[in-house]
Amino acid sequence: MSKSTEAKQVESQQQLEQLRSLILGKNSHVVTDAIQKEARTIVGEVLSEALHDRQKKDGSVNKVLLPIVENAVEDSVAHNSDRLVNSLYPLMGSLVRKSVTAFLTDFMEKTNQLIDSSLTFKGLTWRIKAWQAGVKFSQYVASQTFVYRVEHVFLIHRETGLLLNSVNFNNTAKSDADLISSMLTAINDFVGDSFLDNEDGLKEQLETVTTDNFTLLIKPGPNALVVAAVTGKPPQKVSDKLQIILESIHSLYASELMQFNGDNEAFVTAENLLRDCLLAEQKTTEPKNNKTPWFAWIAVLFFIIILGFQTVKWWENQVLNDKLMTLDHESGVVINHIEVQDHNKVVLDILRDPDAISVSDWLQKNDLTIEQLSLTERLYHSLDLEILNTRAQRILLEYPEITMMWHSKILHLSGTLAVLKSAKLLSALTAAGFTLERNLIIEDIKPPFANEAITSKAIKAQIFKDLVGRISTIQLEFPVASADVTPSMQLTLQQLYQYFHQLNQLADQLDLNVGLVIIGCSDNSGSIAKNTLLSRQRGENTGDALNLLGLSKAQMYVTGLGQIDIMKVKNNARKVIFNVLYVSNDEKTNNEM
Amino acid sequence: MIQKKICLLGASSVGKTSLVKQFVEGIFNEKYLTTIGVKIDKKVVTLENNSLQFMLWDIEGNDRYNAFQERYLRGASAYIIVADQTRTTSLIEGLEIHSLARKVAKCPAILAINKSDLQPSWHWEDKGLEDYNDLFDLHFYTSAKTGANVDNMFIELAKLLQES
Repeated sequence: MSKSTEAKQVESQQQLEQLRSLILGKNSHVVTDAIQKEARTIVGEVLSEALHDRQKKDGSVNKVLLPIVENAVEDSVAHNSDRLVNSLYPLMGSLVRKSVTAFLTDFMEKTNQLIDSSLTFKGLTWRIKAWQAGVKFSQYVASQTFVYRVEHVFLIHRETGLLLNSVNFNNTAKSDADLISSMLTAINDFVGDSFLDNEDGLKEQLETVTTDNFTLLIKPGPNALVVAAVTGKPPQKVSDKLQIILESIHSLYASELMQFNGDNEAFVTAENLLRDCLLAEQKTTEPKNNKTPWFAWIAVLFFIIILGFQTVKWWENQVLNDKLMTLDHESGVVINHIEVQDHNKVVLDILRDPDAISVSDWLQKNDLTIEQLSLTERLYHSLDLEILNTRAQRILLEYPEITMMWHSKILHLSGTLAVLKSAKLLSALTAAGFTLERNLIIEDIKPPFANEAITSKAIKAQIFKDLVGRISTIQLEFPVASADVTPSMQLTLQQLYQYFHQLNQLADQLDLNVGLVIIGCSDNSGSIAKNTLLSRQRGENTGDALNLLGLSKAQMYVTGLGQIDIMKVKNNARKVIFNVLYVSNDEKTNNEM
Repeated sequence: MIQKKICLLGASSVGKTSLVKQFVEGIFNEKYLTTIGVKIDKKVVTLENNSLQFMLWDIEGNDRYNAFQERYLRGASAYIIVADQTRTTSLIEGLEIHSLARKVAKCPAILAINKSDLQPSWHWEDKGLEDYNDLFDLHFYTSAKTGANVDNMFIELAKLLQES
């Protein structure tokens, strides 16, 4: 048994040797040739797997392939650039377009601003403000136009819509940022699928979502999106910044983005990059100017002072004017024209009554001194109460027996005064501006004995007789052929009237009735008839005159005697003579009389 | 926090929104579902050693007016096909959607047979259902109304995703 196994062993050894010599011996080329023929298919079958395995093992395939690929690309670009261009074109096309659009938008914005600010009033004010603030005009315009703030920035995984990281301006809790991210992705997908694909065959993407108060800026990248929520009006540079950040995230986190399975731990460090996007531009308050514009302030102050000065001067003039106007209230002074030019220079045009206070006295009385007073004064006759009073007082100085009293603008005079004197007084008062019954009452001026106390009837009777006698002695002498009552006769008649008046009073007390008989006479020159007429005329005229004085016609009887043929008087009998006729009411008195 | 995108698919009126609502209360309104076609909610599922945040994409129900939209499935970690126990057609439609979804997303799929509180339709046989189980990684009988198995389904799903 062992022999057969041994033999088998030797046989197999031999076979092995044969095989060995076949493969590796002189005739080995037969085998290799055979392998050679099949080499292609053999290698072909395992090439990809082998490369994969090798790469996984030590990554050496990459290293070996790198220079080969580089050379190949270089060759391709050199000789076959079209192909490369064609394949890159769709990518390049959109990229180039995007960047050109961004550039143009920026440019248009700036141009718009420039035009806006150059040709408008607002622009002018802004230029001034910018110059004041010491900033460049374009900078100032940008700060005023683009007032914005980036409130939130989200980093979103493109495919799943999951939130990778987010930052926000005021660091409050961002509890629903992940829901927002997902919804935004859903909406973006919805838009992309709802509208026609763009020219490059790529789906439409949302880039901006704008509302009244804020704007969502969306920057899509191949594996992630960066979304910023901005309040206000963001300029192009915000978009540019987002784009830059998106690109840097893609380069920094390329592998993490590719391998993302829901764990966003890897993207915590991206926070800094996202924070860079929290840009803001607020309206600047006017910067404090270190250099206060002294000159301007001085000018303003100066102006205010001048204004104040003018106002004060004007006010002073007004006050002086008002004070001077009170001169008008003085009795006997009327201001025609008053002009206060500057302080202490006055033009005054007045009417003044001689009895009124003089201007200088008035000024003194009111403590006013006017350096340059140009006064025009015209005299006039005033009927002001004060003036009348002054005049009355002056007139009455000569009549100490008379007392004056004012009652509601009427002067009442009382006292004892002889008739002639009282007549003189009356005329003086009339010249001064008093009018009987209007502003003057002289009823209480009585001739002297009117006030004598008459105690007994006998005395009264005596006086009565006396008066009768006096009246009888009164005679008016007329010129030849005249019947006119002359002024001197008037005086006499006034006297007569006074007597008769007293007579009347006594008659009342003595129970008598009196009457006056007026007898006109004429001399014997001329015809009898004419003389009769003349004498009658004289009598009537006298009667009229007496009537005017206050004697009623019922108490007088007028007659004309004509020529008086009494030897010794006939040549000068051109007279009117008087007589009193008195009767008693009872017999007893009559007898006594 | 690990986040996972989970999509809910199925015929209309099977109870996808109610399932989500039962599981979570979201900030967005149901109306978004009808306008955009999807409503997204989030919920954190806590397991023994860690937590997972589910972003639940409740996708509008598909019928002859709303075709299946594959765009929302992109990047999903898993999806749930929801069917109505009382309507056999809903299961069939669900399976159709599942096959369409498979072309787009190669991720775990769950079958949820909802309205377990109601009487199943007489076509419904457990035996028949077993055939379909092979197509899915997990299957559950849920009731959005009572809450039966809802939380459990999501927890199991979380566990499944954690392992993979």
